[in-house]
Amino acid sequence: MDDIVSIFVTAFSLITTGNSDVWEITSRTLQVTFSSVLISTVISLPLGTAITFRNFRGKKTLINIIQTLYALPTVIVGLVCYMLLSRTGPLGYLGFLFTPNGMIFGQTILIIPIMTGLTIAALQAIPPTITDTIRSLGATRMQFLISHIREARFTIMAAVVIGFSRAISEVGAAIMIGGNIRGHTRVLTTAISLQTSMGNFELSLALGIILLGIALVINLFLGALQQR
Amino acid sequence: MVTLLFIAALLLCSSAVSAEKVKDLTGDHSADRLLIGTTTSLDATGALDELSQKFKDENNITVEWVAVGTGQALGYGRSGDVDLVMVHDRAAEDKFIDEGYGLDRRVFASNYFMVVGPKDDPANIKGMTASEAFKAISDAAKTDNTVSFISRGDGSGTHSREKLLWKAAGLNYDSDVNTSAEPWYYSAGTGMTQVLNMANEKNAYTLADSATWNTVEEDMTELQPYVTDGTDLLNVYAVIRVNPDKFPDVGINVDAGKKWTNFMISDDTQQFFTDFTKDGKTLFIPAKGDAATLNVTEEEISAPVE
Amino acid sequence: MIRLEQVSRKFGERTILTGVSGEIRKGEIFTIIGPSGQGKTTLLRLINMLDTPTEGSIFFDGISLHGSGDQATSLRRRMGMVFQIPASFHETVFENIAIGLKYRRISKDEIKRRVLEKLKEIGLEGYENRKAGTLSGGEMQRVSLARVMVTEPDLLLLDEPTANLDPVSTARIEDLIRLYNRKSGTTVIMSSHDLFQGQRLADRIAVMMEGRFIQTGETIDVFSHPCSAKVARFIGISNILQGRVIGIEDGILSIDVSGTVIHALGTADKEMVSVAIRPEDITLYNEPDGKMSARNVLYGKITGIKPFGIICHVMTTCGEITLAVQVTWQSVKEMNLKEGQEIILSFKAPSVHVMPLDEHETCRSW
Repeated sequence: MDDIVSIFVTAFSLITTGNSDVWEITSRTLQVTFSSVLISTVISLPLGTAITFRNFRGKKTLINIIQTLYALPTVIVGLVCYMLLSRTGPLGYLGFLFTPNGMIFGQTILIIPIMTGLTIAALQAIPPTITDTIRSLGATRMQFLISHIREARFTIMAAVVIGFSRAISEVGAAIMIGGNIRGHTRVLTTAISLQTSMGNFELSLALGIILLGIALVINLFLGALQQR
Repeated sequence: MVTLLFIAALLLCSSAVSAEKVKDLTGDHSADRLLIGTTTSLDATGALDELSQKFKDENNITVEWVAVGTGQALGYGRSGDVDLVMVHDRAAEDKFIDEGYGLDRRVFASNYFMVVGPKDDPANIKGMTASEAFKAISDAAKTDNTVSFISRGDGSGTHSREKLLWKAAGLNYDSDVNTSAEPWYYSAGTGMTQVLNMANEKNAYTLADSATWNTVEEDMTELQPYVTDGTDLLNVYAVIRVNPDKFPDVGINVDAGKKWTNFMISDDTQQFFTDFTKDGKTLFIPAKGDAATLNVTEEEISAPVE
Repeated sequence: MIRLEQVSRKFGERTILTGVSGEIRKGEIFTIIGPSGQGKTTLLRLINMLDTPTEGSIFFDGISLHGSGDQATSLRRRMGMVFQIPASFHETVFENIAIGLKYRRISKDEIKRRVLEKLKEIGLEGYENRKAGTLSGGEMQRVSLARVMVTEPDLLLLDEPTANLDPVSTARIEDLIRLYNRKSGTTVIMSSHDLFQGQRLADRIAVMMEGRFIQTGETIDVFSHPCSAKVARFIGISNILQGRVIGIEDGILSIDVSGTVIHALGTADKEMVSVAIRPEDITLYNEPDGKMSARNVLYGKITGIKPFGIICHVMTTCGEITLAVQVTWQSVKEMNLKEGQEIILSFKAPSVHVMPLDEHETCRSW
């Protein structure tokens, strides 16, 4: 194996010289991940809110199931989505297999449980006196829900960031649904996996550093928001 | 306000993806896109990168491929998820065609598998045939715990060939080799380069295809090839179209598949394989004019698909 | 304004309210006092429709508070409630106060005008852009009050608004409440476990114990004429004894309390009674004195001295009964009072308050 220092040097030069493959993969990664996070947010936020503020039979069980699915293995999501999206599968007509859309679909399914679960946790953590005050001030049902979401916004944002982290760092679903097609469905994690298997540790490491950098920027962004 | 900002940022970032999305959603990407399930060696050597570019220039069809083992590539073919497969496992290919999933098999290139092992050759396989070497490795491993073998173990074409060689060596793969009673045999379940890396680190024997070996040879400081020819090591690459009649509703790209098949056996592409080298070493031998060696009919090598 | 009809609330097996009835008049400050955990908060929550009675009804200006949906929201918007623990939203002080107005879709300019005006009233001018989380408990409770007051409710509900605050903050909050009531004429229903707060603020008081109002009335009436031993004890009368009426003559009752006869002014329709004597109504003498004109003169012994700020309670036993006597530290010094000393107690017949034993039957419920 090459000298570790030289691997790092090469990795940084790949990033700083703006290697077009590296940036193409990075921008696709961001597109896919942001899309899946956006779709998951649009689904998880109302879903989590509804579960929190509605009373129904089996609510506790449902929340337990959602929490269990935090640990949903990415390869299981990959496998199930492959079977669903396969051209001969029930959702084959979408033509999503081996496309970025398919990856967005898989990542969305992957992170909905954790984002929904954390939304529920965030809303449940609001003290009862806040809930009482909101009702007491004459909020309509809609105002009641919006005020709660607003009050829990920082925790909910943290949930979004956790969803984002899970989506951007997973490889199982991306490779099984996307197929790691160069120029089409290759993202940072699948590229790292491929380059490592081909012995290109410099490129793998460069991509890994970018991945960590993105996570860092997103977390700094959240931190800055919470400071305000 | 802050929340709105955050959502706006998300929207902004994801809007970039929407154009691509719309294109994908409209569904009719089949005409200008050919999706191939291919064996990893064609991808890892870079051959497909160059061939697909040439093909796009000539036909304006984008070629995309999912690089997996032969077993999984044929699996994609069986579920109609790819338009065409490029594989190297005769027995599995015949089964695929007999079941009606494959059409128009054409052989476009070959190379050799090779038995590689540690430089000190503890099983003394130098100069043996492949099956003799496998027998020697298995025998030596019973007494010498420095002898070990790493298998792809992933249902790839290379793995298939390895199983054939154990059989030729007079061993039952399931009871004499791939069993926990034989600790010298490691089933890695991963790709060729990874397996070579493992063999290099652990001073083990393994079976590799020559194309991958030639591509990564310089990193394999502890290994060298011992058995490099013989008909039982011949590695034949074939292209097979997925039968559209099996999948009437999914839009198998028949036209592009035929074009690609003919492209692969064309004189230009055959010449490309002759010229495609790594450090002066040939990675793939063109199939043209080699029917007898490859044990296939002349038609399978040169007859264009209609 | 608010009429309560046999309001009950049970939580599973636990009964919190058992048939509360009463009427709160427009414009008054009505204080519900009673020990903690007796249902005061529950009752306020029922009035604010945060909870529903198990039995009974509540009427707001004659409208039953049983509706739901839009009707409930519009009724609730005529009230405002401040909770014991102030709710602090993760927002600026301005947003914290404006929230109720936003629900009512008041125009931005009007919200700004009202909130800034209210900030001035509660003495937090210039705090509008501060994060609510940075305020002290007392400041936050003032913000909670302002949040409700800006919505200009017809009825203000205050649930122990000063329970967790220091005396200075408490005084500020009390001033705000009194001023607001006088200025706007808003009806105020307030709960408190602090007797003196009730005394300071209330026009009328209800004493709540064991899930019901056991005595309701003008503040001064309740304090001077507790209707039962329990109420008497709660309003701070430490000397409560039980006795038997043995005679009546010229409106003076003779009551036998564990062998000691005590004379009291009043009437009794039952033989067994409770009597209450305020510690401040008893005078101590070292030796018999011609000035002892009171009806009751008892001979006893000092068993201890308990300090209460600038005054103290001298604990005495006279025969079988124990009585606390309030004196100043000055007197303790001058009379050289100490434990074990013989002492003479004297109090007038009108100072002895006679109450029936069985409180539930005879307490005036309204």
